Amino acid sequence: MNNLIEFFKKAFHIIVLAVLLILSVVMLGKSLAFNEYRLSRAVQGIVGPIQKSGAGMVHRFRLGPENEALVEQNIRLMREQENMFLEKVDTVLTEMSKPDSINRRQVRLYDYTYAHVIFKTVDRAFNYMIVDKGAKDGVERDMAVLSPEGVAGVVTDVSSNFATVRPILHPESRISAVVTPANQNGTLVWEGNDPRVASLEAIPQHSEINIGDSVFTNGFSNIFPKGLFIGTVKSVQVGNNASFLTIKVNLATKYTDVYTVYLVENLFKPEIDSLKANFKDE
Amino acid sequence: MNNIISNVLRFLVLLIVQIVICQHVCLFGYMTPALFLLALFLLPLELPLSLQYFIGFATGFVVDAFAHTLGVSSFSCTLIMFLRPFIVRFLNGSNINRFENIDRPVPGVKDFRWILLYTFILTAIYQIVSVLLGTMTFKNFGHTLMVILGNTVFTVFVILCVEYVFYNKVRNES
Repeated sequence: MNNLIEFFKKAFHIIVLAVLLILSVVMLGKSLAFNEYRLSRAVQGIVGPIQKSGAGMVHRFRLGPENEALVEQNIRLMREQENMFLEKVDTVLTEMSKPDSINRRQVRLYDYTYAHVIFKTVDRAFNYMIVDKGAKDGVERDMAVLSPEGVAGVVTDVSSNFATVRPILHPESRISAVVTPANQNGTLVWEGNDPRVASLEAIPQHSEINIGDSVFTNGFSNIFPKGLFIGTVKSVQVGNNASFLTIKVNLATKYTDVYTVYLVENLFKPEIDSLKANFKDE
Repeated sequence: MNNIISNVLRFLVLLIVQIVICQHVCLFGYMTPALFLLALFLLPLELPLSLQYFIGFATGFVVDAFAHTLGVSSFSCTLIMFLRPFIVRFLNGSNINRFENIDRPVPGVKDFRWILLYTFILTAIYQIVSVLLGTMTFKNFGHTLMVILGNTVFTVFVILCVEYVFYNKVRNES
C-alpha cells in the first residue's frame, strides 16, 4: 500500500501530463471531425463577445481606408442613378423600331468625384469650405457639392490643389428647389445665422405646404442634378409680401461635421452656358 | 507571494498581447509570433511538474480558444512544459547543480547564448508540433516547413527583444 502511494506520488506528474495530452488530442480530433462540435461552440460562446469587441477596437484603426473604399463605392453607385443621364431618342431608328427599345440612348449628363473638407466655417455671416481637390483633379468652378446627407454647396474658386466651396450658408447662395408633394418650385436662400436652417422663397401662397415636406433640387440650374435631397420644411408662414409664403427649411447637411463631400460635374455645362449667353437679360 | 503576482501578471499581459495583437500579425503572409510562450519560458523551474503541465495546458487552451484551433496549442504547450526541464538540464551541462536556487531561465542569471538556445529549442518544438497539428497534412510540405521556420525565427526574435528590454535590469538588481 505504501509502495502504491509512493508510486502515485512519484508518477503523479506523468499521469497529469498524460491526461492533459490526451485531453488536447481529443479536443483536436473532435474539432477536426465536425464543425458543430459542442465544446467549440461553448468556447465560442465565451470567447466570441470578447473577440467581437477586440475586432471592433482593431477595426477602429482601419476606418480611414475602409471609409475611402466606401466613398468610392458610393460614387460608383451614384453614377448609375437615373438623374445622371439624359435620355435621347435616336432619331434615325425611331420609325423603324419599337419605342422603348434600342432607339433610346442614355447620355451621361453628370459625373461624380469626391473630396474631403479641410477647412470650413459655419458660424459667420459669409461661410466657406475648402476641399482638398483642385484643378489638377478636374475640379472646376460651379461644380455642385454634396454631403452624404444632401446638398452642400457650389464650387466658387479653384486653385491647382484646392477648391473653395460656397455652402448654402452664404447670403449669395441660390439653389432652385422643389417642394414635394406640392410640387412647387422656389429658391433656397440663407439669411439667418443658424447653420441648420435656410429659407425657401417664391413659393406661391396658394400652395399647400406642410411641415415635414421634403425639399429637393429641381435640376433647373445646370449645376445640380434633379432630385437631390436638400432638407425638410420646418415652418410655414404667410410672408409680408402677401403673394408668397415664408418657408423655413431644416437643412439635411450637417455642416458642423461634414468631412467627405461629393463633387458633381455637369458634362454639358459649356454647351448649356453657350445657350444661356444668348439670354437677353442675364 | 510577490513572485506569484508577477508571474500571474506576466501571463495576463502576454496572453492579452498575444490575443489582441500577435494573433493578427501575419508578416510576409505567414509569420505569426507566439509571444505568449515567453510567459511559459519564464515560469520558475522549481514549481511542481504537474502544476507546470497544467499551466501550459491552460495557456494553450486560452490561445486556442481565440484562434479557433482547439487542442493544437494546448497539446504543444503541455509538451514543451514537459520537455523544458530536460532542455534546461541539457543546456546546463554537468557543472551546475540544477537544484540551486539561482537556476532561473532569465537573462541576468544566464548568459545570452544560454537564453538564445533555450528559447530557440523550445520555440522550435512548439512551432513544429503546433504547425503540423494545425495543418494535419504533409502535402505541400515545403510551405509548412517555411511556416515553421519563419514562425520560429520571428517568435525567437520577438521574445528575446521583450526579454532583454523588460527583464534584464530587474533581474540584475534582485
